[in-house]
Amino acid sequence: MGMFSILDISAAGMDVQQARLAAASANLANSNTTANPNGEIYKPLAVVVHSAPAVSAQGLPVPVVARTVERDVPSRLVYDPGHPDADERGFVALPGTDPISSMLELISISRSYEANLRAFDITRQLLEKTLEMGGRR
Amino acid sequence: MFEATPIFSLLSKALDHAALRQAVHTANIANAGTENYSRLEVIFDSRPTLAEAADPSSGDAFFLDASRPRLVSTGEAVRLDREMALMARDAVRYQALLGAFERATGTLRMAIREGREG
Repeated sequence: MGMFSILDISAAGMDVQQARLAAASANLANSNTTANPNGEIYKPLAVVVHSAPAVSAQGLPVPVVARTVERDVPSRLVYDPGHPDADERGFVALPGTDPISSMLELISISRSYEANLRAFDITRQLLEKTLEMGGRR
Repeated sequence: MFEATPIFSLLSKALDHAALRQAVHTANIANAGTENYSRLEVIFDSRPTLAEAADPSSGDAFFLDASRPRLVSTGEAVRLDREMALMARDAVRYQALLGAFERATGTLRMAIREGREG
C-alpha cells in the first residue's frame, strides 16, 4: 500500500482550506464595497467542496473544490445621502456579508488547516521511522 | 526468508493495517468540511473459517488471514478533535509495531551471527 499517498490526502485538504480562506478573505475585504466595475453590488463568495475518489490511496475520498459560487444574500441598506453610490432616497447598498460570520469562518478554516498539517506531520514522522527500520546495526 | 518466519509476515500485515488506519484518519480530517461527507472507519472482520481454525499447520494463517480490513461509512459527521486524538493513538500503535519489527530483526540478526555481538 502506498503510505506516501496519504500525504496527498492531507495536501488536498490544505488546498481546500486555502480556497476557503481566499473566499472568506475576499468577503471580509469587500464588506464595504458598494459596486464592482460593472456597477453591480458585490456578492459574497462560497466554496463548494466535494469529495472525489482518490486516484491512489486505497480509494479513500479526497476533498476537491467543486466550484466557487456567488451567494444571493440581500444587501444591507445604509443611509448615507452624500455617498456617490447613494440612491435617490439617500441609501447606499452594501454587500450582505456578516463580518462576525466571516470571522467565525476564518477560525474554522484555521483549525481545519492546522488539523490537516498535523495529520501530514504525523504521516511524515511514521514514514521516516519506517524508512529507518532495520537500518541500525 | 521473511516469508518463512511467521513473526515477520504477521508484523508486516499489522503494519499494513496500522497504515490503513492512518490513511483513513487523514481522509476524515481532509474531508471534514466536505458536503454530505460521512466519517469512515476501518473494521476488521475477524471470523476465521472452520477449516482455518481446525488446521493446526496453519497456525499463523489463522491470525493473518482472519482479519480483513473493511471500510465502512459511519453516517456521522467528522469531529476534528476526536479524529486527531484517534490519529495520535494509532500513530503510537504504528510506532510500537515498528519497535517490535526492530526487535524481531535484532533476534534474527543475533541468530545469524550465532549469538555473537557486533
